[in-house]
Amino acid sequence: MEPSRAQMIARDLLAVLVVAIFMFPIAWWALSSIKPYSAIFDRSGPVYIGFKPTPDNYRVTLLGVSRVDIGMEQGGEAAGVIKGGASSYDSRQSLLASAIIAVGSTALTLVLATLAAYCLSRMQFSGQQSFLFWILSQRFMPPIAIVIPIVFMFRDLGLRDTYTGLILVHSLINLPLAVLLLKSFFDDVPREVDEAALIDGATRWQTFGRVVLPMVKGGVAATAVLCFIFSWTEFLLSLFLTTSIRTVPVKISTFVTSTATEWGYITALGTSAIIPSFIFILLVQRHLVRGLTLGSLKE
Amino acid sequence: MSTATFTRERSGWALPRFMTAEHPFPWLAPITVMLLVFGIYPLAYSVWLSFHKRNVVSRQLDFAGFHQWARAFSDTRMWDALETTLIYTFIALAVQLALGILIALLLDTDRKGYGILRALMTLPLVVPPAVTGMMFLLMQDGSFGVLSFYLYALNLISPAQPILTQPVTALLAILLADIWQWTPFMVLIILAGLRALPKEPFEAAAIDGASGIQTFLRLTLPMLRKVIAVAVLIRGVDLFRIYDYVYIISAGGPGTATETLSFYAGRIYFTGDFPYAATLSLIVLVVLIGVSNLFVRLFKVRF
Repeated sequence: MEPSRAQMIARDLLAVLVVAIFMFPIAWWALSSIKPYSAIFDRSGPVYIGFKPTPDNYRVTLLGVSRVDIGMEQGGEAAGVIKGGASSYDSRQSLLASAIIAVGSTALTLVLATLAAYCLSRMQFSGQQSFLFWILSQRFMPPIAIVIPIVFMFRDLGLRDTYTGLILVHSLINLPLAVLLLKSFFDDVPREVDEAALIDGATRWQTFGRVVLPMVKGGVAATAVLCFIFSWTEFLLSLFLTTSIRTVPVKISTFVTSTATEWGYITALGTSAIIPSFIFILLVQRHLVRGLTLGSLKE
Repeated sequence: MSTATFTRERSGWALPRFMTAEHPFPWLAPITVMLLVFGIYPLAYSVWLSFHKRNVVSRQLDFAGFHQWARAFSDTRMWDALETTLIYTFIALAVQLALGILIALLLDTDRKGYGILRALMTLPLVVPPAVTGMMFLLMQDGSFGVLSFYLYALNLISPAQPILTQPVTALLAILLADIWQWTPFMVLIILAGLRALPKEPFEAAAIDGASGIQTFLRLTLPMLRKVIAVAVLIRGVDLFRIYDYVYIISAGGPGTATETLSFYAGRIYFTGDFPYAATLSLIVLVVLIGVSNLFVRLFKVRF
């Protein structure tokens, strides 16, 4: 029985409505980032279009323009705007730090996880399921439980407040899911492919690197994006393990000062932080959707 | 390449068996070292801490046996936090799963434009959780928040009792952020499951005149069982460790009403009582390992 035209339209409307509801917080957030202060804090009701858009919040966070200079430009209005501490709202260093850490930990995770996932997909050995559960159980640790010992450990090893330290910790958190995802992608490649390559005289390493790995590159890309997003968005561990290196989420949290919550800068930096991740996730969406079932579709 | 291998073997250069590529060892050694050093060491250290006690005078850690564990089990605040965590986990999981299935069914069609809707639906997943927390804080602010404004307008809550000042609404506020961010994750996984279902049983059901709801309950749901089990496992684990949203939205308040176990452990950490903070974290870990082990067996999840 084909659904009627009215039913189809009802479905379309419902789908658009549901997605719109989920988009609302982000839209509101992005809208707030170009609002002048008076519009954000309007107590008489939400302001949707009745304000003069301003790029000032982006100029301060992304271009490093001093908020005092912006206050000067605006003349009289400035007096009410400049309050709160003299802390820096220039976030360029944070964006760079986050990028270095996210790329570094994604690379490290991928190297370790592809090796392990290929092996777990291709070789049978006793305790294999237990080994996988052990890897997965690394994810069970509440971050706060990892933080305490790692703070002490990093202090002794000189890794506190270093890029290397955060790269290692983010890789640690990413590894379990990366291994499971990549294993499910390797499982999709028939074993006959490996056997054919081996018979043709390739070594096991060549079979892995030149034959099987290129066949799952979509899956590797999807895993890489997930690892990148996790590291890019991680908050708690970065907060505890660094003092001078401030990743973007930590930087945003410093905009809540004892005297004021700088919603303008928070929303501007927050909006900027979402864009790279969203582009990446769109590029690999097809593989991601397949991989996220972690092979549970196979009987 | 193969001749090189032969020469090496003949001249006595052969690697021991466990070092060759046919043995799991070289493949799994790097990840094992990494997980042992940065995964097991912190765990062992936490366990060690949980059997010690801060000596305020000497500023050293003294061995204290089961002191911290006994303290945790007689700590009503711990039990309250555990209860909050369980309530939070169950409500969030149930709502995310139900919404996830419904939205996935809604978006699972090849009609034009639905690709864009599916892509937009992944957007909440890329927002840093700390930012999500602030996003909802901005909307839930008692005096200028957009959500508060509409709830006041609808007379659902009173401006005299802003969302974050009441225990129940404060917990709902955190749940809302979680549900917003993670329902799309469920949608993604279940969509992947739906797209992979075979067509034939559904055609047969349609010929037999099965209703939409019958088809869903008797066919779709059982066939998605494994996908749903994996999704519930991954989400359940993360929900039970919830920290970020609580930290940013309510800071456990009002009072300790929205304090979860992870958050309580964090609070203790900030007081400098590391042994007790470690003990509380270990309780989270033990519950998670126990429940997820049971879950894996019950639903026969294989990785």
